Amino acid sequence: MSISRRRFLSWMGAAGAGTAALARPGHSATTQHFEGYADAGAVLFDSVICIGCRRCEAACNRVNDLPAPERPFDDLTVLDERRRTHWDSYMVINKYYPNGKENPPVYGRMGCNHCLEPACASACFVRAFDKAPTAAVTYDETVCVGCRYCMVACPFEIPTYEYHKVISPRISKCTFCHPRLEKGLLPGCVEACPTEALTFGTREDIIATAKERIRRHPDRYIDHVYGEKEMGGTSWLYLSGVPFSQVGKREDLGYIAAPKLTSGALAAVPIVVGLWPVLLTGIYAVSKRREKIAKEEKENAVAQAISAEKAEAEANLTQEKEKAKKDKEAAVEKAVKKALEDAAKEAEEAGKKDSEEES
Amino acid sequence: MSHDAAHKPIMSPFVIVTGILLVIGLFITVMRFTGGLAATTNLSDYNPWGIWIGFDLLVGVALAAGGYVTSAAVYIFGMKRYHSAVRPAILTGFLGYALVVFALHYDVGQPWRLPYPFIMQSGTTSLLFEVGACVALYLTVLFIEFTPAPLEWLGFKKARNLVVKLTMVLTIFGVVLSTLHQSSLGALYLIAPSKLHPLWYSGYLPVFFFVSSVVAGLSMVIFEGSLSFRYFKDKMDEAHMRDKEDVAFGFAKAASFVLAGYFAIKVIGIAVDNNWAYLATGYGAWFLVELLGFVALPAFLYAVAVRDRSMTLVKYTAGWTVLGIVVNRLNVSLIAFNWHLPASERYFPHWMEIGISLFIVTIGVIAFRFIVTRMPILYEHPDYEAH
Amino acid sequence: MEKGRSLVRWTGIGLAFLLIAITGMRVQGVEAPYKEPEGLRADILVIDTLKVFGELERPAVLFLHDQHTDALEKQEKGCKTCHLKDASFTLIPDTLDEAIRRIDPLSPKFKRLKDESRQEVMDIYHDECIGCHTRTADEGYESGPVTCGECHQKEPEVVSVRQEMGMDLSLHYRHVKAREKKCGVCHHKFDEIKDQLFYAKGEEGSCRYCHREVKEENRISMRLASHVACVNCHRDMVDQQKETGPIRCAGCHSEKMQARIKKVDPLPRMERNQPDAVFVNITETAEMSADMKARMAAVPFDHKAHETYNDTCRVCHHEGLETCSTCHTLAVAPDAGKKVNLEQAMHQENTKTSCIGCHMMEQAPKECAGCHNFMPKDRKQDDAFCKVCHSVAPAQAAAADKDEESQKAANVLEARKTRMDPIPESEIPETVTIKAIEKEFEPAIMPHRKIIDRLQKGVASSKLADHFHTDRATLCQGCHHNTPPAVKPPKCSNCHGKPFSEKKPIMPGLMAAYHRQCMECHKNMGIEKPAAVDCAGCHKEKKK
Repeated sequence: MSISRRRFLSWMGAAGAGTAALARPGHSATTQHFEGYADAGAVLFDSVICIGCRRCEAACNRVNDLPAPERPFDDLTVLDERRRTHWDSYMVINKYYPNGKENPPVYGRMGCNHCLEPACASACFVRAFDKAPTAAVTYDETVCVGCRYCMVACPFEIPTYEYHKVISPRISKCTFCHPRLEKGLLPGCVEACPTEALTFGTREDIIATAKERIRRHPDRYIDHVYGEKEMGGTSWLYLSGVPFSQVGKREDLGYIAAPKLTSGALAAVPIVVGLWPVLLTGIYAVSKRREKIAKEEKENAVAQAISAEKAEAEANLTQEKEKAKKDKEAAVEKAVKKALEDAAKEAEEAGKKDSEEES
Repeated sequence: MSHDAAHKPIMSPFVIVTGILLVIGLFITVMRFTGGLAATTNLSDYNPWGIWIGFDLLVGVALAAGGYVTSAAVYIFGMKRYHSAVRPAILTGFLGYALVVFALHYDVGQPWRLPYPFIMQSGTTSLLFEVGACVALYLTVLFIEFTPAPLEWLGFKKARNLVVKLTMVLTIFGVVLSTLHQSSLGALYLIAPSKLHPLWYSGYLPVFFFVSSVVAGLSMVIFEGSLSFRYFKDKMDEAHMRDKEDVAFGFAKAASFVLAGYFAIKVIGIAVDNNWAYLATGYGAWFLVELLGFVALPAFLYAVAVRDRSMTLVKYTAGWTVLGIVVNRLNVSLIAFNWHLPASERYFPHWMEIGISLFIVTIGVIAFRFIVTRMPILYEHPDYEAH
Repeated sequence: MEKGRSLVRWTGIGLAFLLIAITGMRVQGVEAPYKEPEGLRADILVIDTLKVFGELERPAVLFLHDQHTDALEKQEKGCKTCHLKDASFTLIPDTLDEAIRRIDPLSPKFKRLKDESRQEVMDIYHDECIGCHTRTADEGYESGPVTCGECHQKEPEVVSVRQEMGMDLSLHYRHVKAREKKCGVCHHKFDEIKDQLFYAKGEEGSCRYCHREVKEENRISMRLASHVACVNCHRDMVDQQKETGPIRCAGCHSEKMQARIKKVDPLPRMERNQPDAVFVNITETAEMSADMKARMAAVPFDHKAHETYNDTCRVCHHEGLETCSTCHTLAVAPDAGKKVNLEQAMHQENTKTSCIGCHMMEQAPKECAGCHNFMPKDRKQDDAFCKVCHSVAPAQAAAADKDEESQKAANVLEARKTRMDPIPESEIPETVTIKAIEKEFEPAIMPHRKIIDRLQKGVASSKLADHFHTDRATLCQGCHHNTPPAVKPPKCSNCHGKPFSEKKPIMPGLMAAYHRQCMECHKNMGIEKPAAVDCAGCHKEKKK
């Protein structure tokens, strides 16, 4: 439903029918950019205001019914080691010392940023992920096969997997408290934050708020709202007083939304499907024809050879016949001549005899 | 009972080794499906894909490319001289793809849901969907292409003749599907430019994968041919024996050209993204090993071998090239992937992962042996010698 | 007992210091009592003279000037060993000339007066340096390098810690006193017609007004000017065996030595005919158009007081001693004052040369930062705030001459009431109980009066605060912000909702408003307890 509003590539006609792709045109080379649903929520995390109390983590754990952690949430020594999201923790706060250990620490959040055009949703081959109108990137565990391509695709390395489960392992990640949002409640972490280092509002308002904070205190903030443009824009945005790379945010991700990275390759599908059979059949026809011509030529050659031989034989025969005829004629002539000569001789002899007789 | 048993002792080294591997494989299989992925793999939240994808899927599919390459050459390009290579290549391809799909059952979390993309809902924006759809379809195609051999073996003439009539359509279909999914396996990584090392990440990844799959297909036919000659000589008919060298040199020549082209586009890939500076780093050295040692070198060696008509060199080069494909696929999927992570977060396979990969290769070898010793693969069935 | 032991310890340490100091002095002599740590030097000169002729073939040479001065002294040689006499530096007809007549002014260049050609300059350095090093070594002294790589080092062994030197009001006063107010010894102007320098009484200004970073037209660089004038004059005094300033590099340019320069206290006021007070105002002129005449009220400015707030006049008078409006006009003339108009010149933030900019920098100390750090930068001030400075109508500020203006302005300043009476304690709630999150926590008891006391103490001695905290409830606005000053200001919850308004995310909800206000103020004022994450430090967790 909502996916139809995203301008994602769609190329498969009917996979069940077993035929290959039919391209829906016009999407792969689009210049459009999805700015998010109107009035969809967004959260601003301000690391200048965050005091690192972990109450957001505790609230996240509570509202999502996650298992209790080994060490309680009020144990702040947990922050001494660098942590990441895990199947049982949708978000974590990390402590950084960008200005050296002698200066106060700065805190950073790691958790799903709920991209406007999520890499995970684009990568999922059962459409288990969806960008809901509330701005939450939701996950449907009832269709998930467990290929974990979403984890490969996510530039923020957010989705985690229940590797320990045998029967129905799931992807787990921050849900943006989607059910709470639908009820009009705040996300658990935002509600719990004592200093509103986490602030909720519409994305427009949140970006405006972030920029206003920078404007009011240019000495405190880096002049950049992380997530405004990163990976095509996210619904979780960040402010920081130190370069973002020093509070665990990668600054080399670029502004291109994940689906655009693969749209080129997907656009090649109709080209291959359309061109290859035509070309290959053509090549087949050419090679077949070449074969046929070769065959015909061979046959012709044979026929020619045969007929030439025949002609020669016939010619020989005629010659022979003529020769025989000539021989015969010559023999007849000869015989006639001989007969004539004999007759003449006889006559002469007879005459002689006569003359002799006469004489 | 069996043909072999009549002549050889039951406990041949082959039986012992495969037996052990099968037993280990079955043990790990039990572990995998009772203890989950955590019990058998070193996969983590940073490293969702291990060698079951990097080797079993990527390498498996690449090395099974012989099927479409050979059938295309013979049936489409009309190189009838190589006809004797088609059936072994199709068989290798079929077994390869079947085992890839089999291996995926180990890797995915809920294997019984593997058909979901086709029956529940389709994520058509996913390159993995393209891969899945094409692999599924191509496996079907390969199966049909393979059926004449068992049908001849079983003596179903009518069915066999019907299938043979489909050869042309199946071949074209096979080439289309192979082009799509061979390249898409590379395109899978297009979505993660921030995770794959710039020397391996390129907009040309799908092209690299497709072109190198042609190389892999050609080399595998040579490689597998030489192995067959060594182990199943008695199964080969005169035509196969006679054409064997012809096929090897022909394919070696083709492989040499394609490798040279592959080398060129790899270099263009670096130039386009202006990644020259990375060559001076540690990853750069490893990249050069792959590019020079496993692409440029075999291209040269194939050429030399063809010129000198050296069968030995062709065989060894084929083996080396196959190894190069393995190196390339592992580089993209594991070694250069997640290069930005600290060493402590990097992936190295669990022994059980390696065990399953060996198990699957073993099944392939056994199945190949079973079929080759029974069905008309390396010889033409006397009933159908006319065609 | 404890006290006694500590006394012994301190005496010991003191004695040790004394001993080290005395022996140190003996070893190093009076002339160079301080040495920078190994490798750090204030006397590095980079010899890259050949740059003007093209690219350098070898790395530039780092020359240690003081090391050479010391070495020559040991050999009883002087500056003239390296520097030639340069007559062109005796150009000021009267005083400076007279001041240094006894010595030869020397060229700062090495063994030459001009850079003629690449080959010549290179030869001078090579021949003279290597020659001298060889001779010195032959004579049995410690000497310098003679091979190429020893001077032309790719990776130098020394690091420069040279500090900029300047003349502050105190040092200036000492020179004035020593020279018996003969300003012309140093101050001069240039007569273009006569093509010479002369001294103009009453027109003295900072050297840097004319001598810039690099040579401009015929005005030599500040660096050259200061070394020629200061060092030569000091040399002369040394010659006369009088007390004088440094002649070694480190004397002026090392941080430690700068700290040792004596400060005059109390410092008598500079005598340059400056007014005690002025109006910052645009004087009405005949050619002014009607709309130009409509302008802001004049600002009475306590010039005398501001003289004491800064080290030099140049902090405000950055280009000359004229009035600000000489360059910073109402409308910006294309070339005037780098296109900064008068409004910007007075109000720009982040610069010490504007009124507001400088005043905002004065808010950095932690006594002020608690409130002021919260306030957005570059915000529009309310109208009443403008009037704190702009308090005199232009017509009333008009005066016949400077003296009258100064008198008028001084009267206004005098009449201004400087300090508000504090709010009586009885009107300040002693504590405020906050129950905003009572579901989870016990109420927090905020020591409201204690906080106000602390704030009041912090600004008690600040004239700046007295001037700008115009209402007796101004301090309350530190927390009760965005409302007019009032002894009974609105409560936090009047504006900050619960939890917060999604429609206006810039305004925090009540819980965040409390937390941020308390925590940031504590942080800014350097109050470490309770820590921001110590919840129970303010409100005990509720037992369930």
